[in-house]
Amino acid sequence: MLPKLKVSNLSCSRADNQLFDDLNFEVHPGQNIEIIGSNGSGKTTLLRVLLGLIDIGDGEMEWLDNENNYNNFRSIDCFYQGHSLGIKNLLSAQENLRLSSYSFGVSEEKILSSLNRVGINNHSSFASEMSVGQKKRISIARWLLKDFGIYFIDEPFSALDDQASSLIVEIIEELNAKGASFVITGHRPSEITSNQITLDHEV
Amino acid sequence: MAFRRSSTYITPLIFFLIVISFFPIALSPDQDFLRSLAPGVIWIAALLSSLLAIETIFSEDFRDGTLDEFFISNDPSFVLVFAKVLCHWLVTGFPILLASLISSLILYLPVSSLLPMICSLILGTFFMSLLGAIGAALSLGKSAILSAIIVLPFSIPTLLMGTAAVSSAIDYQDYSGFLLIMGAMLAIGVPGLCLLTVEAILLNYE
Repeated sequence: MLPKLKVSNLSCSRADNQLFDDLNFEVHPGQNIEIIGSNGSGKTTLLRVLLGLIDIGDGEMEWLDNENNYNNFRSIDCFYQGHSLGIKNLLSAQENLRLSSYSFGVSEEKILSSLNRVGINNHSSFASEMSVGQKKRISIARWLLKDFGIYFIDEPFSALDDQASSLIVEIIEELNAKGASFVITGHRPSEITSNQITLDHEV
Repeated sequence: MAFRRSSTYITPLIFFLIVISFFPIALSPDQDFLRSLAPGVIWIAALLSSLLAIETIFSEDFRDGTLDEFFISNDPSFVLVFAKVLCHWLVTGFPILLASLISSLILYLPVSSLLPMICSLILGTFFMSLLGAIGAALSLGKSAILSAIIVLPFSIPTLLMGTAAVSSAIDYQDYSGFLLIMGAMLAIGVPGLCLLTVEAILLNYE
């Protein structure tokens, strides 16, 4: 199968720091990429560059479209979860998922089943009343709202107990089976099956 | 969601009414004197009040990560910015419109000037929200006062036109020209300022 994303000779620098240089990788359907590095090594920047939030420095990114052609613009539905979880404290768990799906629209049943899947049963409780771990679970429930092509997740395993970490691995494997790919970052390799890229930029 | 945080709309409203009520107390309760000051006082109070909550347009979305989500969705970022500005105006600008009716009583504004006052405030406060969006985008993650400082110098044309429209109405002169200019500013401002705001937000990711 053709890769969904081809990255060639990607480089990026901030001020005088070369964060990464000459990166080459491909994101294939159902496969994962893990970007490993210490704090400040450019993991988040790389995710943002891939998503077009930051202008590409040198190099090329090619996205596969529906007609199996490659374009320089993003032609695949992507999901991004940064360090901040994208959860509104003033909204309930259910309302947060409704907000996340505003542009593609999903049924209330889908929202409720996604929340139940990640172990959030108090759907109408405000996020402000929940712990960081529970908020993280709500953000994981958002992955299930739609079949995204590539999920870009910044440090998904941080601040989670073993049970929640296992849940993430389980959900990633489930989505991989449907053809979804994950590009995730972390300080050390996780339990998921992936190709690893190490950013060894010294801070 | 903004309605769940009452401070977003109550603070500008209370600030507006307090500023207006200070003038009869501090200067003079004389009707003619207050009437002559009314257009300027109402407009200055409206501008300052609308700037109070300007920082909140994007700051929370930026902090909690929803702004990232909006920007990588397939929807045009321009539409998102316009929707955010419209919501901000409904929450802060619209209550000021209602409060301006009360202030017209405090400042003895003639009934004939109410229509131009409301029309100019609708056009002007919405334009201020658009301007404020750029200030808020440029000062994301920084001091809240910074966005007001960025925006205030650019609010002078709006202030001049709004004040002139209400003053003309008090003097029974034609005020439509001022409203048309404000309308034109808004028509140019909606696409122009929204696009600039998108670029200003993206600068924060660099």
